[in-house]
Amino acid sequence: MSIYAVNKLCREALRDVTFRAALKRDPQAAIVSLPLTDEERAALLRGDVAWLYARGAHPFLLAYLTRWELFGLTVPLYSERIRTAHEPVHTE
Amino acid sequence: MADIVAAFGVPHTPNFPALVAKQGSDCKTARLYAEVARHLREASPDVLVIYTDDHFNTFFFDNFPIFAVGIADQICGPNDQTAMPSYRVAGEAALASHVRARAIAGGFDLSLVQEFEVDHSIMVPLHFLTPDMQIPIVPLFINGLAPPLPSAQRCLALGRAVGDAIADWPANKRVAVVGSGSFSLEIGGPKIPLGERAGTPDPQWARHVQDHLEHGRVDDLVEESTPARLARAGNIGGELLNWIAMLGVVGDRKPNFIAPEIEHGHAYAAWRLD
Repeated sequence: MSIYAVNKLCREALRDVTFRAALKRDPQAAIVSLPLTDEERAALLRGDVAWLYARGAHPFLLAYLTRWELFGLTVPLYSERIRTAHEPVHTE
Repeated sequence: MADIVAAFGVPHTPNFPALVAKQGSDCKTARLYAEVARHLREASPDVLVIYTDDHFNTFFFDNFPIFAVGIADQICGPNDQTAMPSYRVAGEAALASHVRARAIAGGFDLSLVQEFEVDHSIMVPLHFLTPDMQIPIVPLFINGLAPPLPSAQRCLALGRAVGDAIADWPANKRVAVVGSGSFSLEIGGPKIPLGERAGTPDPQWARHVQDHLEHGRVDDLVEESTPARLARAGNIGGELLNWIAMLGVVGDRKPNFIAPEIEHGHAYAAWRLD
């Protein structure tokens, strides 16, 4: 369920310039207090959008991360990785 | 009683306002919107009922309706940092309340939304169609982006129920219905081209949809628009549901104007119903 927190993080990166700056400056510190699993935290920090997608993170929101190259995600890198992703299972 | 005088279908691509500002009013996108806007002016509606899919801006996963209607006197947007002017448009709250009550009585449990802003999916069409924001709107939200999506059959039936409610509205007003969105579009998902943020994975489907629209084959369109088919057209392919709901007031009539932008996976269309 905490993939919700991943989706919310992406949305807050769009809306909250302070949070966005913190993500850019020190991503590990910026997400330390968020209710993420260890696996989700690690996937974010390594910019593993394919892993996050397969667990239900919404691609429209994930793609926000490339606007500011958060977690190192340039557009070329993001597209290269997401193209390997498996479809999520929608369990809600 | 109110009259349904026209229906329109347009895209809401967020970079189009900036694109047209840069390329000028002679560019293809500007000319296509202008042709729809011309039909809209001629139909002279007093109210626009707009089907669209919010992109996690008005709503989020904490509270995410399948169908909702916005009931407000004033509606502002875009609220998603789209590069375009900020607008304030009047909401036609009386019609919105009437539609909600009639729809619920007819089996469509529309969520109530008040004190809200809208994103590019409403403001980009208005920017091109009614830039003076002089025509009040009723926003109807359909979840086209986060599976499971409502079925195409359900969306067409919703569109018919809303059409019945509009026709039953005891006001001497002219109403037009707008459906907004893409037929084939992938944003940030596995079907994007290498090196891009977005792409049009299924231009054949977009062309096929356009052909159905052009020939008034609404039943074929609805039957073919299964969740799996929409997903193959891209993770934004569910936006076709906004068009299908709009077709609820069109039926099998052919459009007075339709033109594709297949490279973008969408089209522009106008039906005159008066």
